[in-house]
Amino acid sequence: MSDRNFRDIFSGAALSVFGLWFAWFSINNYGRGTLENVGDGLFPAAAAVLLTVFGIVILWSGLVTVAVKSDFRFRVPLFIVASVAAFALLIGPFGLAPAVVATTLLASLAELKTKLLGLAVLCMTLCGLVYLIFIVGLHLIIPMINWPF
Amino acid sequence: MDTLANVTLGLETALQFSNLIYCFAGVCVGMLAGMIPGVGPLTAIAVLFPLTFYLPPTTALIMLGGIWYGGGYGGRITAILLNIPGEPIHAVMCQDGYPLAKQGRAGVALMLSAISAFFGGSVGILLLMLFGPVVANFALRFGAAEYFALMLFGMVVASTISQGSIIKALAMVTLGVMFGSVGIDIYTGVPRFTFGVAELTKSISLVSLAMGIYGVAEVVASIREEQDVGEIDMKGVTGAAAKPDRQDWRRFWPATFRGSAVGSFLGVMPGAGVLVATFMAYALERRVSKHPQQFGKGAVEGVMAPESAAGSAEMTGFIPTLTLGIPSSPSMVLMAGALIVQGITPGPALMSQHPDLFWGVVMSFWVGNIMLVVLNIPFIRLWVRMLEIPYHFLFPAILVFICVGAYVEAYTSFDVWMIAFFGVLGCFMRWAELPAAPMLLGFVLGPQMEDNFRRAMLLGNGDLTVFFQRPISCAFMIITFALLPFIVWSAVNEIRRHRGSGSGVPVNS
Repeated sequence: MSDRNFRDIFSGAALSVFGLWFAWFSINNYGRGTLENVGDGLFPAAAAVLLTVFGIVILWSGLVTVAVKSDFRFRVPLFIVASVAAFALLIGPFGLAPAVVATTLLASLAELKTKLLGLAVLCMTLCGLVYLIFIVGLHLIIPMINWPF
Repeated sequence: MDTLANVTLGLETALQFSNLIYCFAGVCVGMLAGMIPGVGPLTAIAVLFPLTFYLPPTTALIMLGGIWYGGGYGGRITAILLNIPGEPIHAVMCQDGYPLAKQGRAGVALMLSAISAFFGGSVGILLLMLFGPVVANFALRFGAAEYFALMLFGMVVASTISQGSIIKALAMVTLGVMFGSVGIDIYTGVPRFTFGVAELTKSISLVSLAMGIYGVAEVVASIREEQDVGEIDMKGVTGAAAKPDRQDWRRFWPATFRGSAVGSFLGVMPGAGVLVATFMAYALERRVSKHPQQFGKGAVEGVMAPESAAGSAEMTGFIPTLTLGIPSSPSMVLMAGALIVQGITPGPALMSQHPDLFWGVVMSFWVGNIMLVVLNIPFIRLWVRMLEIPYHFLFPAILVFICVGAYVEAYTSFDVWMIAFFGVLGCFMRWAELPAAPMLLGFVLGPQMEDNFRRAMLLGNGDLTVFFQRPISCAFMIITFALLPFIVWSAVNEIRRHRGSGSGVPVNS
């Protein structure tokens, strides 16, 4: 298994499975219609079938070619995506400043190069910038700090 | 003269004080984004995109356009001085620019490339002014069948030209079309693929999608490959050392002309864009040169030709975007998106309905290009300073602005969650070497394509041959189908190439 192009096998399989599911869902839930009066499910289903075909070709090409070494480190993407998710969680109930600080801190964890003092300065600068640009500059109505309880 | 009136109107719009300010801001941001590795003009456009909701459409496009071509100017500085391509499009610039800098001719290289870029940009702007109205007039006669055929053609050509595997690019275009079909169907009012989520009924937000698959994935990739900025020798940059000599000028014109021609042509092609243009211009220049052995060791043509190609391709890329509504690159997708958000559909009607917008934006490109040339050389010390900001301070800032930007579009944290989702997808796509640009193209063109397909079917009474009965649409269809054997051939070829490679490990069956 290790000498196969696992990357292509996996991505090809994922694409074709997603395509199949999408086509099945589209045909089952939305109208196919006729060619004269195309239904709302036909076009997405057609695209999904095409994706399935391309996915199978990618999978097949992965089976017959030799692997290219590639490492995938989870640490960086994990913290970056978590920092975005933290913003989504905090912005509604707590307001801008806590969301900005949480995003900055979590993102910085992806790469432990920043010292504590640098982080504090960065958080303050970003809060200030966001305040100046979006609230002072663009007059948006977002609370900087909110307390939901 | 009609053209003269248009140019006057354009200049009046472009020289308005607020437009000048935003043009200046745009080119500065673009230049910085182009210089700093890990922050491309595309990321900069995505980050500043939400600001454009609060600007008049003309001003918005002037600013975003400034970021787009300003990036080219900025990336060149780091490529020549430090051998660091800020963006992939500047990889070619390192070939001869850095050797020139090592010979103490960095100033010459910078000056010549700035002038080449300006010249190429001017050629591109002229073509945009000449052919924009022609193409728009021509396209006004397009019906649903023509549009469908044109979009199909654009998607297939974009996937064929793009770097890497054609099959993967095609797969990503279709995936983009599928993401584009999420939301309320305009014909039946049925919410498709929303799974009861109210926020999805108005379809997936372009900002979230673009910021996820580009912004977030770009940050993740850049953290891994962070580079150290070395010391810069500033001696060769300023003063008399920056003056090109007579021989440089003699070599300037032919190289710049050829570069501009290559760039202008490839800039219009969907998917080819600036990157392919720079590589092609460099290859062509080496082919026709009388002294090809100089290339790679500091040939001035190797700097001028790609730079003029980039300059002109950046400009002609606006022709399909503004006149047909078919963006040729991810940055163009975002610029078209900025107009759509403002309620203006880019397309053939744009020029007659909003002449001040079209001509104002076009003339502002010239103003911006002049600003860039003026800003570039004297302040070079200042720009290079910016590189000293460490990336571990920059990337949290980028993420914060991406999140705030997505949130303020509709004041819903759902769009921020979508960034996280597309960020994961974007990282996966980078790992699997699935290209993101075709997906963005498919996402934007997909809904229009479906709309035109259904309308064409309705008008043609369900007859699929309708796409071949009308001459223009037939021509697009024939070219598209003619590409199919090529696609199969190149896919087979690609597999064959990888079969033996990979350090000689035999394939076990």
